[in-house]
Amino acid sequence: MNVLLVLFDLVLLAGIVGVAWRCLASTDLFRAVVLFITFGLLLALAWVRLEAPDIALAEAAIGAGITGALLLVTLERLRSIMAERRSGRRHTPPPDPTGPHALLRALHDPPPERRTFLPALTFALVVGGLLVTALWHQPQSVGLEPVVDAHMDISGVDHPITAVLLNFRAYDTFLELAIVLIALLGAWSLGRHDLIPARPAPGPILPGTLRLLVPVAVVTGVYVLWAGSHAPGGAFQAGAILGAAGILLVLARPRQLPMAPGTPLRLGITAGVVLFLLVGTYGLVAGHGFLGYADAWAYPLIILIEVAATLSIALTLVALFVAGRPAGDDT
Amino acid sequence: MIANALTVILIFAGLVFFAAGTAGLLRFPDVYSRLHALTKADNVGLGLVILGLMFQAGGPADILKLLLIWVLVLAAGTTAAHMVAQRTWTHGEFESDR
Repeated sequence: MNVLLVLFDLVLLAGIVGVAWRCLASTDLFRAVVLFITFGLLLALAWVRLEAPDIALAEAAIGAGITGALLLVTLERLRSIMAERRSGRRHTPPPDPTGPHALLRALHDPPPERRTFLPALTFALVVGGLLVTALWHQPQSVGLEPVVDAHMDISGVDHPITAVLLNFRAYDTFLELAIVLIALLGAWSLGRHDLIPARPAPGPILPGTLRLLVPVAVVTGVYVLWAGSHAPGGAFQAGAILGAAGILLVLARPRQLPMAPGTPLRLGITAGVVLFLLVGTYGLVAGHGFLGYADAWAYPLIILIEVAATLSIALTLVALFVAGRPAGDDT
Repeated sequence: MIANALTVILIFAGLVFFAAGTAGLLRFPDVYSRLHALTKADNVGLGLVILGLMFQAGGPADILKLLLIWVLVLAAGTTAAHMVAQRTWTHGEFESDR
């Protein structure tokens, strides 16, 4: 441990905290966005110092790059909206190159001129060549497979992926569930939802198909959840299937569906995280470590958590699609 | 050996249908002809891919699952195509379609 490196780390830490504080305290939105990007880059540097270069790359690309660009675009959009309000007249903004219809427009534009073909072809060949080379030279590392295999008998399940997700690395899965929940809370904090304005499609075809498809989706979802203990499957996949069925129902009959009452909906949405946390805390108290299980209880507890997580994920997906708090819910 | 050869041939034939359908989606002038290209080509293409995969299946249960996947995609794809066509019939084409 080098004195200079310790000094560097301390300066980096102070910089991260300082930039974060300046970013939150800034009243100028543009300055806040620039500080946020700086914060992301400093954070990426911190990941490099923690010897996690993959996460550093992800942080630099997603945290600082893409999110920063999105925030800047949003800021520009906000400014034009505010200017419009102030001047009191609507002026149509020029079509921006990143808008939702950009892809459609690009597809309909006349084909590109011939001189762009050669660079495009070269680019495609270079990227393709790099991909093939990367695939060719994969390191012969065995990874963690032997470790997982050696501990399969105490995991409580028969499928290594489920064993890793819900036993050996339950911490990651717990945090993923929490992030899904936080995403929904973020959407809800933006306001109450209006009923989806689109009228349901007339005619018997859509309701008829849904009458066939939704039961199949429910059976498939439960099967995928159950299969998770011995084959590929599990809570996230099952929740996605059930959530898709729910979204189809919402889309087909937006006005005839009874609104879910607030309290049971909230209980269902938080069930996965709450149950996971309860079991994890019990493991901590009972001496198996946080999110650890007693060997004999591993299977029933994992199944219990998976069922609750499936319910929460399905409900959260539908709620995220509808977006906004449930109506008639004035808290 | 014969099963593997059949799998490769059938999946490649399916991919050709997918490519043709995608080309039609990108190049055809209006919504109806695009739907025509997309649904027909994708249904046959997926059917061929599924048929090819059936030669690799481990048993009757796997074959039935693959068949179920094809039937479900057929039902869903048909419904979606019907809805897109109906929306176009009653409301006209979307603006960006010109």
